[in-house]
Amino acid sequence: MKLDLGISSSSSLQAAVKFSKLADRDSLNCIWIREDPRAQPEIFTVASIILLETSTLKVGTEVTSPLDRNISTIARAAATLSQMGRERLRLGLDAAGPNTLMRDTATLLRRLWTGETVTFTSDRFRLRNYYARYKPSFATPIYFGARNPKLLALAGEIADGVILSGPKRYIEKAVAVVDQGLKKRKRRRGSFRFVAWVPTAIIDKKSDLRLAREAVATVLAVTPEAVLKMAGIAQGRVMPIKAMMVEKGVNGASRIIAEDLLQEVAIFGSPEEVALDLKSLEKYGIDEAIFGAPYGREPAKAIGEMARAWKSLR
Amino acid sequence: MEKPKIDFAVGLNAYETVKEIVGKCVEAERLGLDYLWIGDSPPHLYCPSVAAAVASRTKKIRIGLGLLSPILHTSDQISGSIISLTEAYGDRFEICLGVGDRSQLSRVGVDTKPGKVWDQVLKAKRKIVRSLRASGLATKIWLGAQGPKMLAASKSFDGVLMNYASPRMVKWAIDRVKPVARKDFEFGIYAPSYVYKRWRPEAYRLLRIASAVVALGAPTVVLNEFGFSKGLRRAIEEHEGRLRIESVVKHVPSEVVDSFSIYTPSSGLHSYLRELSGLGISHIVFGFPQNLSKITVRDLASALPSP
Repeated sequence: MKLDLGISSSSSLQAAVKFSKLADRDSLNCIWIREDPRAQPEIFTVASIILLETSTLKVGTEVTSPLDRNISTIARAAATLSQMGRERLRLGLDAAGPNTLMRDTATLLRRLWTGETVTFTSDRFRLRNYYARYKPSFATPIYFGARNPKLLALAGEIADGVILSGPKRYIEKAVAVVDQGLKKRKRRRGSFRFVAWVPTAIIDKKSDLRLAREAVATVLAVTPEAVLKMAGIAQGRVMPIKAMMVEKGVNGASRIIAEDLLQEVAIFGSPEEVALDLKSLEKYGIDEAIFGAPYGREPAKAIGEMARAWKSLR
Repeated sequence: MEKPKIDFAVGLNAYETVKEIVGKCVEAERLGLDYLWIGDSPPHLYCPSVAAAVASRTKKIRIGLGLLSPILHTSDQISGSIISLTEAYGDRFEICLGVGDRSQLSRVGVDTKPGKVWDQVLKAKRKIVRSLRASGLATKIWLGAQGPKMLAASKSFDGVLMNYASPRMVKWAIDRVKPVARKDFEFGIYAPSYVYKRWRPEAYRLLRIASAVVALGAPTVVLNEFGFSKGLRRAIEEHEGRLRIESVVKHVPSEVVDSFSIYTPSSGLHSYLRELSGLGISHIVFGFPQNLSKITVRDLASALPSP
């Protein structure tokens, strides 16, 4: 099992580069950049800069939507980054659309990357004799950021990996759903990667628990009903949190997070405890665990501590 | 020769490998060119990422991104790229906005109906300026223009990059914009180019193709104004019939190629630059195939006036 780092595209570029260098230095496996559509930075530009500043770290975009960019733009951005990073790029796609959209997206990208001249028409895509003039013939792994069960199964069927985020019980069940898709493949599992992204925080003192509570409130407020259902969390327990978010913001909402929800949604504690908890996701079939926001009171320090704790597990 | 007040740039078509592009850009900076312009088109590499790779290996040469089409990229994506590039590599970036190559855009399903798309470009420019200003940036924004409508719209930009090279056409365009433009408004050209010490048939063949692409994409009003329509009729018909541009180029008259490109031996460049400088041109982008190899980039650099 490998340790990844997660950042948001809304992080300052300075912080993103600093964290990437730390992750590269500490031999973490991958940095995932979560695209925040409200944030200024453009995810492929940020990923380019990170690839240029690191040497061995894989860099993943998590996740970009085929609805936000022309398919040709996604294809060539991935091609450029793959060249720049000597194939260290992982392309995360926001699997939030219908199954046909995601299936078409993955298929078209792979056809374009082999240098094929593509003519294809659907509700969403209209390509006519389009081909890449840049040097194609490479294979960027495609990861689906999926939550809906149908798309989770599709990820197993056609993607190279899946990024799961949500409560721990949800992650356990989601792996099983992805496995159903994997069974449809001729070669089962193979190099397919299961990646889990759970809010994580290094807690030095009791007051740091606030970080974990705030993260849980933020996550639960936007967690889809289907995910809550799979996690066995009653919608009624989340409604007050959502209401409090609107009324008093994250600070207010974090104060009403029950202990069991905190334990279910976040991983927190000393570096050693967090490392062990992340490692425990392996029993569900997770291949890579992401150490992501809020990290700890001092994020750079927390990343270093986490990397050391992870190494000591081996 | 005294250097005219012109900035000189090489235009890069980003379909080579990133490594090859960066190699040429490093050479261009070493040779003293002022700017690099990195093109953006659906079949090419992603311009902001190539710009990052180039900036990471060069020190101070200015880098233009574009032509970037707001029909293909959102204004947030464009401004977001510039903000990150500037933060990482300093205030060395400029952008050129425009509709883009309609033929390439239609291949990827992007609709470019005249009128609507011009409005989109102008609205995007305003949004980009707002975003950049909010981040404390005053990035120069050019408009890529050929026809009278876009030329008229260019007055709200920092400058216009015209896609033709003949002094007659350049003067026609400047005469339309200058009376309504701000004092600090800049006029530039971005044209297919081949400035050579030793003539190479392959480079000339590519120049003819690049010029034909630009000419065939020019607005009818421009072709009529300069009497090119009749001579281009067969080429236009065959191009619209979806024949590959390589098959059509033989029907493009050489006077059209000359008007849309900078084609001269090194020794002839000085008089051409003087003429353009006299018209008010302050920025020249030597486009494809001038970037064909490091040798063609060196040929250009050696022909330019010393700084």
